[in-house]
Amino acid sequence: MEFSDHIKTANVEDVVLRQPLHKPSRGTLCITGHHLLFSEREEGSSQQVLLLLRNIDAIEKRMSGSSGTITIKCKDLRVLQLDIPGMEQCLNISHSIETLSCLDNVSEMYPFFYRPTDLSLQDQWGLSTPEEHYTQMKELHKRWRLSSVNKSYSVCPSYPSAVIVPNCIDDETLKKVAKFRQGGRFPVLCYYHRKNGMVIMRSSQPLTGANRKRCKEDELLLQAVIKDSDKGFIIDTRSSQQVQQARMTGGGFESKSFYNCWKRLHRQMERGKGLQESLIKLVEACSDESHNVDRWLSKLENSKWLSHVQTALSTAGLLAECVERDGHSALVHGYEGTDCSLLICTLAQLIMDPFCRTLEGFLALLEREWLQAGHPFQQRCAHSAYSHTRFQQESPVFLLLLDCVWQLWRQFPLALGFSEALLLRLANEVYASDYGTFLCNNDQERCALGVKDRTHCLFRALLRPAERDYYSNPLFEPTELAIWPSVHPQSLQLWRGFFLRWTQLAHQLEAVQEEIRSMVIEWARVAQR
Amino acid sequence: MEFAELIKTPRVDGVVLHRPFMPTVEGTLCLTGHHLILSSRQDNTEELWLLHSNIDSIEKRFVGSVGSIIVKCKDLRVIQLDIPGMEECLNIASSIEALSTLDSVSLMYPFFYRPMFEVIEDGWNSYLPQDAFKELESMTDEWRLSEVNKDFTVCRSYPPLVAVPKNIDDDTLKKVAAFRHGGRFPVLSYYHKKNGMVMMRAGQPLTGTNGRRCKEDEKLINATLRPGKRGYIIDTRTISVAQQAKARGGGFESEGNYPQWRRIHKAIERYNVLQESLIKLVEACNDQSHSMDRWLSKLEASNWQTHIKEILTTACLAAQCIDREGASVLVHGTEGTDSTLQVNSLAQIILDPGCRTIKGFQGLVEREWLQAGHPFQQRCAQSAYSNSKPRQEAPAFLLFLDCVWQVLRQFPCSFEFNESFLVLLFEHAYASQFGTFLGSCAADRARLSLPEKTVSLWSWVNRPQELERLTNPLYEANSLVIWPSVAPQSLLLWEGLFLRWNRSSKCLDEAYDEMVHIIEYNKELQNKVNSLRRQLAQLETEDPLLNRP
Repeated sequence: MEFSDHIKTANVEDVVLRQPLHKPSRGTLCITGHHLLFSEREEGSSQQVLLLLRNIDAIEKRMSGSSGTITIKCKDLRVLQLDIPGMEQCLNISHSIETLSCLDNVSEMYPFFYRPTDLSLQDQWGLSTPEEHYTQMKELHKRWRLSSVNKSYSVCPSYPSAVIVPNCIDDETLKKVAKFRQGGRFPVLCYYHRKNGMVIMRSSQPLTGANRKRCKEDELLLQAVIKDSDKGFIIDTRSSQQVQQARMTGGGFESKSFYNCWKRLHRQMERGKGLQESLIKLVEACSDESHNVDRWLSKLENSKWLSHVQTALSTAGLLAECVERDGHSALVHGYEGTDCSLLICTLAQLIMDPFCRTLEGFLALLEREWLQAGHPFQQRCAHSAYSHTRFQQESPVFLLLLDCVWQLWRQFPLALGFSEALLLRLANEVYASDYGTFLCNNDQERCALGVKDRTHCLFRALLRPAERDYYSNPLFEPTELAIWPSVHPQSLQLWRGFFLRWTQLAHQLEAVQEEIRSMVIEWARVAQR
Repeated sequence: MEFAELIKTPRVDGVVLHRPFMPTVEGTLCLTGHHLILSSRQDNTEELWLLHSNIDSIEKRFVGSVGSIIVKCKDLRVIQLDIPGMEECLNIASSIEALSTLDSVSLMYPFFYRPMFEVIEDGWNSYLPQDAFKELESMTDEWRLSEVNKDFTVCRSYPPLVAVPKNIDDDTLKKVAAFRHGGRFPVLSYYHKKNGMVMMRAGQPLTGTNGRRCKEDEKLINATLRPGKRGYIIDTRTISVAQQAKARGGGFESEGNYPQWRRIHKAIERYNVLQESLIKLVEACNDQSHSMDRWLSKLEASNWQTHIKEILTTACLAAQCIDREGASVLVHGTEGTDSTLQVNSLAQIILDPGCRTIKGFQGLVEREWLQAGHPFQQRCAQSAYSNSKPRQEAPAFLLFLDCVWQVLRQFPCSFEFNESFLVLLFEHAYASQFGTFLGSCAADRARLSLPEKTVSLWSWVNRPQELERLTNPLYEANSLVIWPSVAPQSLLLWEGLFLRWNRSSKCLDEAYDEMVHIIEYNKELQNKVNSLRRQLAQLETEDPLLNRP
């Protein structure tokens, strides 16, 4: 097997590992194709550290005399240090880590090799297909249909094979609309609000270009969405200035004159590089050891991360208000419709739909709105906050979602059925995982590589009984009401559980949560007898 | 009675009250000597009873013939009263202004308040110095209780009884008192049982520009050292502030005259700087703009978190000297009535598990703040909304409570009390029906006969129904020293106090109640399991069938 070409030194004895929250320990270091394994060799202890090489964001080496030190910065924000005797060994190890941690070939990644005993590849992959979802949503059937126009992924490569569209719009029309939308992402249904029958649609920007091209079919489709109600809202995740500029590069927006029943609202959201830089600055601020309060607060402000959290939550609040309070349908898009659009559609559903707030419901929501909807995970999560490489497509949009969900959880501690531990687990898994769930950029790629046949599904694994207990919120009391988050700057907080998780502080708070959780589990067990 | 002179309009009908997170109420406004009362005639709406002494400032606004009074309270709440009739509104406003700033202590509400509850244990007798000393005596015989200050002549701000080294007589103490600011000679504040090290506090030595020395002072503090041991003097001022103090007759302990002591200077702010910091912080918290940058800049500009960090850091330092270095510590700043007390009391929270219980914490506040002579009356005369120029006001006690909250948040299982207890102490320090925080020192309290004429806050708190509300459900006695993190990233804004009236706490309160419920149910189940086990054991021994081989 070719991994061995990259491993010149597979074993080193007498290595010292330093990691946060632990005392330094001495032991043996092994490098395998996918893992870094450290086994403590001290009397009376048998601690092991197993780290996916994929989890490594950047490494630094320092040589002094005949030994070397490798500092490993992980995508989960942990920083480890290895003191390795022998210069050659140190160089070999660091070379192997560098190469193996950023292999490009997806089918060589660990999920294709991970075979736990309690899961079978024959099990259903994923929680629900678009077809199953549609079948369950009986109230949709009157006005909406499931279209297989994208069966072979030829109309829109980033969409799943089946999507929900208005009944009266046929596949030919959809094909024409797809040509008018960036990346073929024509408007599809993403959420149906049972209380009043209003819907949320999402798409990419229309390709109006500089000469204001129009597309009758696109107008027809959107008209079919609102049908008898008088108007709808288009929430554009760009500023009105940005959308004007987008026209110069072939993009654009729905002009008032052609879409007269739709009212456009602009909310500028940061994406791409800007967001990635924000994360880098925040993580740097969090690891600042200068002990200066002013400096910390300036750096926190300067990173703008909390502003992004605020914008995302307030835009999602706006969307939910359009649907729930004003009783209108809404269409959401920005540029490609694969990042911010998904972020606010997801948050709006958490705000409005009680089912999305259960553990299963939340995972199903992520499956629908992020995996099937084609968020390019492979590109966005290739690197995290420590990488030195030049960024191309990296952007922590999904992490921003998790942060926003955490803010909701903090403001409504009873309303969500899952715990902070789930959000932390997802934040890890999305960057480096044993499971195939977050591999690839869309359904098409996942099918091409056989991800669903040759890897295990994280969401299924999370719903196994033991895991389910661990990731449930012991205080959960479902409410049918919408949960409107406060977006006052004073109400939003740094997600310390994630960004400061490798400090002592987060550790103590975790202990308390663990205490409550074990109490509830005990309670349930006694109650069953 | 003279209050009546200040109340021109005692009663107005049709007044509308706006409060945070509550529906508006229309009703009758009444002014009494000590309260502003608004009651509607409906049974289901809550009445407003507001102590005049809780009012920090008011603003009036007129629209046509309806006037509005915006009442800003010392507990940081802001309410609005819409009063029909311009004259009524002006009368009410001027009455509130006069009644909320009465100077005479003996006219304050605690002298008129009669408890509607049964006093189980008189709080005035709960934490007497002689009782605390008995506990000390059980651990060591190196200290004695001196009565040198029994008529408050040696040190006006000290209690009548203080603990001093056994071999230092009262005459020496008198000489030392003359050498220390405000007569505050070094006294025992804390004895660390684990290694016998102590923490003392004092006022600054009055060395002046020509380096005056006092042999008795040196003898006193050296008497607290074990043979061959060194001690630390923690000066809460920077070295340059301490140098400047010499010009005004103050100073610090020079190395030459105190060779067995190492001096460490820290920078804890006092007075106006703190008061302004509080004002800025509260203003930032009430800022309605939706800009995240602006909020974080304002929070930073208030410097509040920096003060928290300095105080906690100094307290950790004092605790470290005692617990880790095995050295005794003397703490002082200028007067020794503000930052000194913050450091001493926080160090005890860190070191002494006893101070983390409800009663223990009351004892700490009583010993290290009330009896130690923190001038509450001056420091807490005004809070964050006052328009008058601050003179002696400073939120030193609030900063202490905030620091305790930070530690509590970092060690959520190590405290017997919860956040509500800290908020309660904050409120009562600024306005109260109880006499506990009246006056500025033990001498004041004796002169005003507070124990005879007013009710102690502790009498009210130490009843089962109140204790239940203030108890931390997660508490598990932790006998260890707890070292808080002072990294800026670890320090949070105390939302439960500063954002209390800006954001609804309904969801958080529900979650808290749910947690309490789970924990109680868990205890219940455990008791049931235990009693079933006992029954089973009993049956096994009694049942002859089971006993048969």
